[in-house]
Amino acid sequence: MTKSVELYDAILNGDAKKAHAATQAAIEAGVEPLTLISESMVPAMDEVGRLFEEEEYFVPELLLAGRAMKSSMELLRPLMTASGEKLSAKVVIGTVKGDQHDIGKNIVASMLEGSGFDVIDLGVDVSAEAFVAAIKEQNPQFVCLSALLTVTMPAMKTTIDALSNAGLRPRVKVLIGGAPVTGQYAKEIGADGYSENASGAVVLVRSLLAEA
Amino acid sequence: MTGRDRILAVLAGQQPDHIPCMPITMTFAADISAVKYLQYVRDHRIMAEAQIRTAEAFGLDYVSTISDPTREAADLGASIQWYDDRPPAIIEGQALFADKAALGRMEPVDHVRGNRMEDRIRGIELLRERAGSELFVEGWVEGPCAEGADLRGINRLMMDFSDDPEFVHDLFDFTLQIAIGFSTEQIQAGADIIGVGDAAASLVGPRIYKEFVWPWEKRLVDSIHKDGGRVRLHICGNTRRILDGMGALGCEMVDIDYPVPMELARSQTGQLQTLTGNMDPVRELRNGSPEAIARSLEAQQLQAGAQWIVAAGCEVVRDTPHENLRAMVEFAQTHAPAA
Repeated sequence: MTKSVELYDAILNGDAKKAHAATQAAIEAGVEPLTLISESMVPAMDEVGRLFEEEEYFVPELLLAGRAMKSSMELLRPLMTASGEKLSAKVVIGTVKGDQHDIGKNIVASMLEGSGFDVIDLGVDVSAEAFVAAIKEQNPQFVCLSALLTVTMPAMKTTIDALSNAGLRPRVKVLIGGAPVTGQYAKEIGADGYSENASGAVVLVRSLLAEA
Repeated sequence: MTGRDRILAVLAGQQPDHIPCMPITMTFAADISAVKYLQYVRDHRIMAEAQIRTAEAFGLDYVSTISDPTREAADLGASIQWYDDRPPAIIEGQALFADKAALGRMEPVDHVRGNRMEDRIRGIELLRERAGSELFVEGWVEGPCAEGADLRGINRLMMDFSDDPEFVHDLFDFTLQIAIGFSTEQIQAGADIIGVGDAAASLVGPRIYKEFVWPWEKRLVDSIHKDGGRVRLHICGNTRRILDGMGALGCEMVDIDYPVPMELARSQTGQLQTLTGNMDPVRELRNGSPEAIARSLEAQQLQAGAQWIVAAGCEVVRDTPHENLRAMVEFAQTHAPAA
């Protein structure tokens, strides 16, 4: 049996110490990192997302689960780098220029990482130039832009325009989100997708990957 | 009937001439007055002028000193990112209490000597002097949870509930004292009502809300009442699971944001609770048509019943078409509260 029930439970319960210990035990038992991710981590984060949708979990529980997942990934990443194993897709994410809000962005980043994607988090107040530089350097398949304020939403378009001007737009799918953001706005500014929550963002990335 | 009388009538359970209208305007008001938002948040005279102009231009029943969530935090010494024409923001990476030990080193704050808090108090005095006979004057404080998030960093606070409950109570005790002192000064300055903005509370579930947030909100509400003030509770976001607690605080007015069905808010808070809201400020008020706005308000009135004040669920965004805000006000002015 390759599934670590202990890791699954630790992530679901937001217990970083137990997640770390369970990951260590699984590695010592010979479980492959990608197997651990796909058999334990991804199902746990899927369940976390489901519980959030059902309003059984809230932001504190999401952040705790994300922290537990990261404590597991800290052990798995070096092993994957050493063996040349790669996650299914790379995502660059950040809150756009002028916006200091990051809790929604952090939750999306955690849910994506816990769903088996390689997530590069650029933080908050990220300029279009910084997104361009990160995409050139990291070569991701996806870039996720977050904004909580209507006054910072235009920076999403500025970023997309900068990607186009740099000749990078065909290389990445641009996804946007944040409280005031709408699907209509995503279409208006030329984004490839929009989600109103973190679980939806995971579904969106998965569906776009399946289409690719 | 003046706007002030109209709101007071609803709060007293009496019949006003028509439904009051109290949408929150901040950047929208600054634009109406053709001033940069930096000027608006830094000079109470500019804010008061913009609020009065906006209320007069659109027929709103109140004026408010809400501007941004950083007034208390700035005076406490938190790092603030200033912008030329948008609300200032807390720099979470440099949060004042990123190190928990910093809480124990804090000195009590003098609310009227702090630059930004004093500016709001002066704003209330000016609004009261210039418009207080006609319009309801609103003060504003950050709620204990929201201010805790501002000072600790919201990401840290969300995990503190689990990691260090005792620290959270100490933190909220501190933020409560700030809110109590600030609200007392605002009531003395002439505020008809104190808005308590506790948006971070919408991120936690019912267990954390009841254990950690509600008790401190209740103490603040009781303090404002003891000072002779009234309370408008504003927790924007999805508050479906904490509505019963919000209704049990004893606030004169509870704002409901658009993710919460008004029908649910009414059933959870009781028939006597005055509710304010809850039009979607972006999808309906900004992006919609005047006709759609009127239809939406009709539906809201059916669900909200008599104790209801027209407003958007949160701030009227700055590029809202003027005819849309006028449609909202027109609905209020042409409808009596439901029987």
